[in-house]
Amino acid sequence: MEENPEKSNPISRRRFLRNGALAGAGLVFGAPSILGSTARNAPSDEIKVAFIGCGAQQQVLFSAMRNIPGIHYQAVCDIMPDRLGGAFGRIRATFGYNPNRYVDAEEMLSSETDLDAVIVATPDFWHARHTNWSLEAGRHVFCEKMMAHTIEDARSMVRTAESTGLFCQINHQRRSNPRYRYTRDQLIQNHRICGDIQNLNGQWNRSIGASQDIDVNPRIIPDQETLRTYGFADAHQFLNWRWYRDLSGGPISDLGAHQIDIFNWFLDDVPTSVVASGGRNYFRNREHYDNVMAIFEYDTPLHGPVRAFYQVLTGTSAGGGYYEAFMGTEGTVQISEQRQFTNIYRESGAPSWNSLVRRNLLRMVAASAPADTGDSVASYESPPLEKYDLPGVLAKPVHQPHLENFFDTLRGRATLNCDARTAFESEAPIFWVNPSAGKREYIQLSAEHLSVDGGLTAET
Amino acid sequence: MTDTETSSQQVHGDGAASCLGSILALLLLRLWLGIRSLQEGVEKFAGMKATEEAVEIDGEVNEYGLVDTATEKVYGLSHFQSVPEGMYDRLLAEPLMPAFGLAIYDKLLGPLLIILGLTVLLGIALRFSLFAMGLVYTSLTFGLILLGQDAGIAWLGIHILLIVAALLHVRHNRFSVMKSF
Repeated sequence: MEENPEKSNPISRRRFLRNGALAGAGLVFGAPSILGSTARNAPSDEIKVAFIGCGAQQQVLFSAMRNIPGIHYQAVCDIMPDRLGGAFGRIRATFGYNPNRYVDAEEMLSSETDLDAVIVATPDFWHARHTNWSLEAGRHVFCEKMMAHTIEDARSMVRTAESTGLFCQINHQRRSNPRYRYTRDQLIQNHRICGDIQNLNGQWNRSIGASQDIDVNPRIIPDQETLRTYGFADAHQFLNWRWYRDLSGGPISDLGAHQIDIFNWFLDDVPTSVVASGGRNYFRNREHYDNVMAIFEYDTPLHGPVRAFYQVLTGTSAGGGYYEAFMGTEGTVQISEQRQFTNIYRESGAPSWNSLVRRNLLRMVAASAPADTGDSVASYESPPLEKYDLPGVLAKPVHQPHLENFFDTLRGRATLNCDARTAFESEAPIFWVNPSAGKREYIQLSAEHLSVDGGLTAET
Repeated sequence: MTDTETSSQQVHGDGAASCLGSILALLLLRLWLGIRSLQEGVEKFAGMKATEEAVEIDGEVNEYGLVDTATEKVYGLSHFQSVPEGMYDRLLAEPLMPAFGLAIYDKLLGPLLIILGLTVLLGIALRFSLFAMGLVYTSLTFGLILLGQDAGIAWLGIHILLIVAALLHVRHNRFSVMKSF
């Protein structure tokens, strides 16, 4: 762990940071790789954190964070007293001390002068403001994905992170998941078990029941004035912000962001075009499409042209849950956070994977089954596939490795797996799916669409 | 041999056979009820222990953090819980269930089932042991009535019938450590 400059140096860590960051802004800006490798504001062993936003996602993050040693939960902030009390109670019950409670994030940031990091788990349309305010106040930030509900807000987060020189991790948690990292590094890129990847297929199909509006006892909802102050027209917007265009990117951003990020990360590339179709087929009163299908085209250095199909459906959970599949000439890796949706197949004509199995790089699940001759025409059928599995699992909550990576980076032991610029470059194509579906338009993506300095903005 | 003598011997023989049947019936009931109670009490000390082991690739521990996991059932005082957590919370929410009573019950139920299982198996104070066991199952029935679990209530009702059958045959008790009660 790096020594805390505050303890050993009369110049305070934060003063040093502010002066140093301003002086070095020119150097830092445009040099993200330097940012990724240097802990410029490394905290002491105990990292003091605060939560902005204490809803369902905060609970998920806290459940993972409580397993990570060396974190002091100094403050919690939410406009809903019930959620604030819940977060306060969970911290007290787990660690035996009381975090400070705030309704307003700006007040918290100005009052809590010795915070090291802020965890932002608010609705998407608040991410940029909360992240930028925190960074400008000298705090490192761990922010939920999607970075923001507009591409311009997301760009501002990258600029602020890079101008302050502070760490800003975006919660694309699969990027720290050992199963994903192993699959990408070893199976797809090192051993190239898929051969040439030509097609990707991803989906998140969610049942109608799991996609219903959220409703709570009206007595625990903040009053109308508070809601309006914080950007919500009414209680329904407050509880169901994911369905509103001014507050969120909708299901393609909410669910699709995780998986389209995996497309881009595994291919080490971004798409050159997108064409999409969407509709309000079941939840007809919602502003966002409840079903969206998108096709991205890539021109990758490693595999050549690649097409990726992605669908997010909120009218059915059929079709095998949620996964990302990388389909190559020699094999297919279908990976998911859930082991049950993870499958690896070898094409019958591909070179044997026996040596990989002997080395425990893969585990064989089932040999190829004989072709069914009962209801198929043999000459039209492809030979059966051998089925394999990854050699191990993640035995932690799925968000824990990404949070560990963030805190290890703050301590100078690691580099961020998904800093703001990395996240932006991966998320940028997603901002163009809704416009493509809305205008029924094929969009050729350029630097103007996809870069931090690009000038084009997308409608939500 | 007269008809009367023959008849008397037959009655005596039938009575002895009937008595033997009752002795065996009670023995079976003691075994079933005793094991049922004893093991149910022991299971209150059961829990699952998860183990994980780093996966070796090419003979070396992988650098990614992939692990193999396994769970096994273990017994120990640290796992003791008489009333399952979910059921405890639901019972606590019942207005007719006093919280302090539930807390005491949660502590006592497991050991009580073990003790009563042993006393019924060994035939120690069999009448009182069977009666106490019946009271325990009645108390469990009360909880299930509050939760509206009809299948469980019927299941416990069968236990009560078996205890009643055992009590009705208790004069045929043999193979006991202590018969006086």
